[in-house]
Amino acid sequence: MEGRADRREFLKRLAVVAGSSALIAELPWWSPLRAEPVTEAASDRVRLGLVGTGTRGNLHISHLLRTPGVEIAALCDDYEPHLQASLARVKGAKGFSDFRQMLDMPGLDGVLIATPLYQHARMCLDAFSAGKHVFCEKSLAYTIEECQAIADTYRDTKRVFQIGHQRLFSPTFLRALELVRNGAIGQITQIRAYWHRNNNWRNPISDPSLDRRLNWRLYRDYSCGLMTELASHHMQVANWFLGAHPVSCVGYGSINYWKDGRDVYDNVNVVYRYADGTHVVYDSLTSNKFYGMEVQVMGPKGLIEAEAGRLYAEAPPPAPGIVQLINSIEHGFFDTVPIGGPSWVPDLKRDTKGVALVQEKSMDDGTGISLAAFANAIRLGEPVPGMMEQACRSGVSVLMGQTAMEQQREIAWPEGFRI
Amino acid sequence: MNTRFSMVLVGVNTERAGALAQAAERELRACEQLMSRFDVESQVFDLNRRFAEEPVEPSAELWRILALCGDYWRRTGGAFDITLWPLNRLWRGQLSRGEEPTEAALQQALDRTGFHHLHFDETARTVRVERRGMSLDLGGFGKGYALERLADGLRVAGVERAFLSFGESSVTVLGSHPHGPAWPVGVSNIFPPHEPVHTFLLQDASLSTSGTAPYNAAGGPRFLGQIIHPRSGRPIKGYRTLSVASPSGIEAEVLSTALLITPEQDRADILSGFAVVSAVEIVYDSDAGRFAPKIAWKFGL
Repeated sequence: MEGRADRREFLKRLAVVAGSSALIAELPWWSPLRAEPVTEAASDRVRLGLVGTGTRGNLHISHLLRTPGVEIAALCDDYEPHLQASLARVKGAKGFSDFRQMLDMPGLDGVLIATPLYQHARMCLDAFSAGKHVFCEKSLAYTIEECQAIADTYRDTKRVFQIGHQRLFSPTFLRALELVRNGAIGQITQIRAYWHRNNNWRNPISDPSLDRRLNWRLYRDYSCGLMTELASHHMQVANWFLGAHPVSCVGYGSINYWKDGRDVYDNVNVVYRYADGTHVVYDSLTSNKFYGMEVQVMGPKGLIEAEAGRLYAEAPPPAPGIVQLINSIEHGFFDTVPIGGPSWVPDLKRDTKGVALVQEKSMDDGTGISLAAFANAIRLGEPVPGMMEQACRSGVSVLMGQTAMEQQREIAWPEGFRI
Repeated sequence: MNTRFSMVLVGVNTERAGALAQAAERELRACEQLMSRFDVESQVFDLNRRFAEEPVEPSAELWRILALCGDYWRRTGGAFDITLWPLNRLWRGQLSRGEEPTEAALQQALDRTGFHHLHFDETARTVRVERRGMSLDLGGFGKGYALERLADGLRVAGVERAFLSFGESSVTVLGSHPHGPAWPVGVSNIFPPHEPVHTFLLQDASLSTSGTAPYNAAGGPRFLGQIIHPRSGRPIKGYRTLSVASPSGIEAEVLSTALLITPEQDRADILSGFAVVSAVEIVYDSDAGRFAPKIAWKFGL
């Protein structure tokens, strides 16, 4: 298991990368990572409280325990067994069953919200009004009105806000974006994303009365199911890569397999339309996992599978030696053509492996880096530009999709939505 | 031929170059029609399908090619052999599953290889094989053959300087580099940083490189480049390449493969029967996981 020292070393290296890559310099949410490395000094310590100690909350705890300069000062959950289990993991943390009481705790810099979707907005707004910095899990909120309220409140707070879309911090996704910007696939003409599983998506429960509470993702009163809990990630990526939000969408959803009392769709199909004529085709199901999950960014010159981190070029690349040879002839050089080797063999569709986007897959999917960035931003006392836009675009997109399916009509981007 | 072809023409205007490129494409497609073992329309495909059942009469051109392959098979002491496909297929399949073939499977594949199992009826102009499961593979030979045909066509068209490359393993040049006395062609390190290990100066000549490589273009393990020893039936070990420069594209192709699997002490014998050639063998020794190229053998340099 990697420790805090390793993570410190990793973040130091990342700061160098963040400082040197032209692309990363364009991504403002990476800027806190370029800050001076934190020390063990008390003045460098950021004190955080986390609400929601379920699966996601516990993953955050694991990352935070390794993030330099971070103290998990408080944990909050209204489900006692989860709270006790997480308190056992974090030495010295104070436990709360009421979020507002946690906000009143003196010396707390920021909060992480990893609760069911329907609670996000209330907690974000309360945290902002208590002057706290906020890290909110995706999806942003349960309704479009709530998304707007969070964006409006944030605008005046001067607080740090971050959304739990870890792909914004994934080196693989950054490389994918860099390749797209450099024209590796040409113009983006379609993004196809899917998230396929083959299980009932339930947490085991000891008592049936806990079902709605612990399996909140399956109930429409608390969540929009597949759209908010899974699709929001890929809609964030799509909006990010396209640099826009969808103008409208249509879709169908149903419960065709898991007829077990849930009232969110167990399969969804949504098509989003963007102003420039690009479409994002999204589907998610829970009754077949063969294709797993992927976001495919397509263009006339190639396809990027960003989750797998691979690029599939449509045409074979020109032989590097030949390019060099032409260059030498045109510029009057007499250079060796570095060419002879065992024969170049093309990728065949049936067993093509594509080209890896990054040499080594990062130690995490961006979640750990994003938490370090959050802590650094708090330390610097500077809001992270662009983050609320990312959160709102994806948050609203998935709610549009949900509405389109429920009302069986085309749903437009909410007019007048202001980020 | 399952690779890419590049052609650089010097001193030819764009319009003419376009026409020559189209002519080259037609020529290459004709070669595929003749020699591809994958194209169901090709002559070799038809031969492979029928020649264990009945004597097959190939076209005059294919007859000449097969006779030439027989000639090279004899002149290389059996090291150049166009009948190794069953072994190649066996190893490719097994290694992609991460396994070695069983002795029985290896023996079966070996039984289905060997140019001496091909019978030519000079009177009827027919070919047959005595064993089922045999299959000809003119992949390597085909590149050299196509390059010679293309080079001839360009000469006839009046092109004086040109650089032709098949997947970077087979190169034919016309004349010299416009800014020097020859075309300097470097044999690259198969490991990063891929710098040239040895540079051949080619003038109206061909260069062919055979060898094993750690990766294919996509970065995956490479099985297509396995070089199988015709007698043991096993892939040669380690990472090595052998490059041969020759006035003949076909002979460069034949010799690069044949010499690679021939022990060093027997190579001079083979070479004594060929026109002026030069050759370089590069062997990659592993030191703590890093592979460094070393020129292990040279000829005519």
